[in-house]
Amino acid sequence: MARAIAVQTPRTSTASGARSSSVRKRFRSQVLPRIVLILMCAIFILPFYWMLTTALKSNDEIGAYPPTLWPHDLRWANFKDAVEVFPFWSFLRNTATITALTVLGAAISNPIVAYGFSRIAWPGRDKVFFLVLATVFVPFPVLIIALFDIFARLGWINTFLPLVVPLFFGNAFWIFLMRQFFMRIPQEVSDAARLDGANELQILFKIIMPQSWPALSAVCLFAGLHAWNDFLGPLIFLQDETKYTLAIGLTFFESQSQYDIRFNLLMAASALIVLPVIVVFLMFQRVFVEGVTLGSMK
Amino acid sequence: MAAEILAASSPRRPPFGQRFLLGRAERRNLAMGLLFISPWIVGFVAFLLYPFIYTIRIGFTQYSGFGDPLWIGLENYRQLFRDDLFWKSLYNTLFYTGLAIPVGVVVAMGLALAMNQPVPEVPIYRAILYLPSVIPAFALSFIFLTLLDPARGIFNQALMAVGLPNINWFGDPRYSKLALVILAQFGAGQAALIFLAGLKGIPPTLYEASMLDGAGTWRKFWNITLPMMTPVILYDLILGLSTGIQIFTQIFVIFGNDPPGAPANSTLAYVPYLYNNGFRYGQMGYAAAMAWVLFLITLVLAFFIFRSSNRWVHYDTD
Amino acid sequence: MGNSNETPYRLIDHASRRRTNRRRFLQGAAGLGAAAIAGARVIVPVAAQEGDAVVFWTTFTDPDLAILKGMVETYNGQTQSAKVELVQIPPAEVTDTSKLMTAVRGGTGPDVYHLDRFVVAQRAADGVLQDLSEFEGGATFLDNHIAFARSEATYDGKPFALPFDTDARALYYNRTLLMEAGIDIAALDPANGPATWDAVKQMANALNQKGPDGNYTRMGFIPWLNQGWHYTYGFSWGGEFFDQAACEVTPDNAQVVAAFQWVYDYCKELGPQQVSAFGSPSMQPGFPPQQHPFITGTLGMQITGDWMINQLRTYAPEMDYGITFIPVPTAGNESATWAGGWSMAMPQGAKQPEAAFQFMQWMSGEPGQRIYTKESAHLPTWEALLEDKTLFEERHRFFSEQLLPIAKNRPPLPVGAKYWDELTAAWQAVYLNEAEPQEALTAVKERVQSQLGRFCPVTIEG
Repeated sequence: MARAIAVQTPRTSTASGARSSSVRKRFRSQVLPRIVLILMCAIFILPFYWMLTTALKSNDEIGAYPPTLWPHDLRWANFKDAVEVFPFWSFLRNTATITALTVLGAAISNPIVAYGFSRIAWPGRDKVFFLVLATVFVPFPVLIIALFDIFARLGWINTFLPLVVPLFFGNAFWIFLMRQFFMRIPQEVSDAARLDGANELQILFKIIMPQSWPALSAVCLFAGLHAWNDFLGPLIFLQDETKYTLAIGLTFFESQSQYDIRFNLLMAASALIVLPVIVVFLMFQRVFVEGVTLGSMK
Repeated sequence: MAAEILAASSPRRPPFGQRFLLGRAERRNLAMGLLFISPWIVGFVAFLLYPFIYTIRIGFTQYSGFGDPLWIGLENYRQLFRDDLFWKSLYNTLFYTGLAIPVGVVVAMGLALAMNQPVPEVPIYRAILYLPSVIPAFALSFIFLTLLDPARGIFNQALMAVGLPNINWFGDPRYSKLALVILAQFGAGQAALIFLAGLKGIPPTLYEASMLDGAGTWRKFWNITLPMMTPVILYDLILGLSTGIQIFTQIFVIFGNDPPGAPANSTLAYVPYLYNNGFRYGQMGYAAAMAWVLFLITLVLAFFIFRSSNRWVHYDTD
Repeated sequence: MGNSNETPYRLIDHASRRRTNRRRFLQGAAGLGAAAIAGARVIVPVAAQEGDAVVFWTTFTDPDLAILKGMVETYNGQTQSAKVELVQIPPAEVTDTSKLMTAVRGGTGPDVYHLDRFVVAQRAADGVLQDLSEFEGGATFLDNHIAFARSEATYDGKPFALPFDTDARALYYNRTLLMEAGIDIAALDPANGPATWDAVKQMANALNQKGPDGNYTRMGFIPWLNQGWHYTYGFSWGGEFFDQAACEVTPDNAQVVAAFQWVYDYCKELGPQQVSAFGSPSMQPGFPPQQHPFITGTLGMQITGDWMINQLRTYAPEMDYGITFIPVPTAGNESATWAGGWSMAMPQGAKQPEAAFQFMQWMSGEPGQRIYTKESAHLPTWEALLEDKTLFEERHRFFSEQLLPIAKNRPPLPVGAKYWDELTAAWQAVYLNEAEPQEALTAVKERVQSQLGRFCPVTIEG
């Protein structure tokens, strides 16, 4: 699969072999990758396909044996029923608010902190950085109690603040991610800028960030996705229906007594929740790719 | 050229003796560095320091979460080493992590290379390969339950169609951990994006230069791509270590918590066991002790990864 | 400059040489930590809810949630004291305890909490719940409830919850399927008393069918499926799970071991993995009920609860099925079953305790349980209601009249959840033939007893 990396660079070839070589090159650059990609996609689309088709099945058809690959009757009403199981639109609004604030916080804090851990050489820096990393190795569930005590003292329970505010102070993993990308940029770039009289903030925003769009957009995407799908945080810190998020709403399809679940409605609601993420991802890709071209123009 | 990249760049820092006396530039750097990382310091002190110290403290107590913790010294730790479920959960967790990390790196790298193919419709492929990563865990697990059902799941039907045995992925203790590893790969799109960002950041000039040397595809991958990707791989290893060791949600959603670790404790992982001790069995002190033991184990593993990374991770490309 | 290639390793490697710095850092950190702890000693309760409403948290989902909403409305329409506000919290059984525990500690908990009765003793021992005997009428309210429900709601001689509803387990069988296979189903007629386990096994064997790949395509009976739990079999063999005099859990009791052995042998004969492949998916959380083998007509018999009546009405309305006693080891033995259910509890820190207790009494008492029984087709624990034939349709009457009077309950121990989890893991190991009953159950005893010790002596009501 690594061969594709070479494709854009012209290969020198003798005139006599040019024709057959160009056919082979075409195959290697255009056909072969597609075969591999389509095979991979066939596997990776399976869960989504199953979710979508199940969302459109009737109760009876879910029990059909052998399972039907395509629903006999497309039961679009499942979507209507699904959004009535919980206050879908108000949960959507809550989730969107939390997600937007989370992305904002992550986008501001992580590059700044990562810069401090990668582009400035200060004594003890990497030791402190190891401390940053160490914090993610403490299992979260055991911290819940004490965290809740803090947020309760601040009066933040049943608000979005416990879910959002900590993100404005950087997240160890995303700091680490940005640091790894910052460190790949040659130090000379910064040195030269410093000689020209640029201060550190200018270097960060004028020189380092333009080369790090892929990393920053990845951090934003991950932060957004984390907020969008997080379950444990909202479960603990939110306390009534006016504040709940979509991930919590999904659990309402399950019965409190075991072995009963409205499977098609759950899938319909999940599909609705995934949809905006797909749209954002497609938009994100443009930033991602355009950012890459910016970054590689040195 | 390639050899130059492979060679570890030489350290360019003053010897230790000199570093104790901070020069003016160094003092300026220290102040500047601390200023930049100050958001993290504030966040750490405000939100993490107290929970950390609090849990260390209750690790030495018997505590249900209510009333007054009863100081019992090292008793929780003593009990821990006698608890065969502690060992079982540790074994299961290390088994899972040990398998999931290398498989995860290879799959993520494969996906990233696929996502990097220069065909015009590649954004669509990328979206599809990333798709399973955006499905909420709660829903994804149900989907896999029906896909991997030994009696009627289409995945197993396909296995049998090509002559492979029908495997009861979630019900057979021999395969249940493996099933979790396979499941995790559907979320590899996340790591693949980071790898893709890494691939995109490799200066094309490196490949052009190696083209002149007549290097083949494999050699280019081995001599340029892989070394250039090592910072990202290091990130992925640490991420995989943390998420693998702390595997929690997937297990709850697939195998339930009645009890944790079905079938027959074969998927009893460390953090679910810890969670149950704290929140289900009223043993918060014991859970806290478990947390700090796991912390130390992970820290040691992370330390060794970092220690070795000095030999194989290459920053700075000049 | 030029330190970008520096890795944390190098600094850690030399950390020992820079001990002074590290020590200073640790001192600083410890100082901050001490301040944090000192400051946190007094946890100030936060006023979570404005106004005077009684906040009632439930994990119920529809359709039962809708019934609860109606009940709360009815109550609010007639009460002289504070109104009730119903809050639905996510039903995940694994998480509700963490949500309750953190909220109660932080002073933002509810006034009334819907609690699985089986964990009342455990939560009471943890200190989460309030002793209800301190309220007016609280000491005697439980007397109106059926004995096992009373026992489950009591810890250390004091009431900690008010029962809300109950259930019971029975053997369901698909009449059409059995008759088509030429099986005489007279033995399964409850009028003839309980069948023996071996008779059930014989019938089941006549139904078992395998496909060309060696997997079962139809089965007669899977002992451990659905409500075929360790307790179901242990009670059936006359086993005891707790010895009050010795303050010991007794999973290694001879009858319990014999019960496990029967299941071990049953699965061994049929191939434990093949049985599991057929049955285990339906035991996973979130398995589509439509695909349950009993509902699809590929399983002849199963042990499950009274709620199955409603589920069958939804998913297999055409099925001709019967319900009978849980089988017995030897003909002439008394059949045994067990019951569970929900309860209303009051967490520590409730802001409206008096009004909350009034509401709890209404829900748990005659008026509330009458509405709930009628609308949900669950069983009541209020003894007088069990006499009211108009509340139950025919199939439910078997449960209310024949089963509840003989129903047992899981011992309400302060380590009840741990005990259940340990028993279940052993149960799985035994039916998968991964462990011998005696060794598995002895290990359960060791681990659970080590946690029970500090609560001794433990007294159980009834």
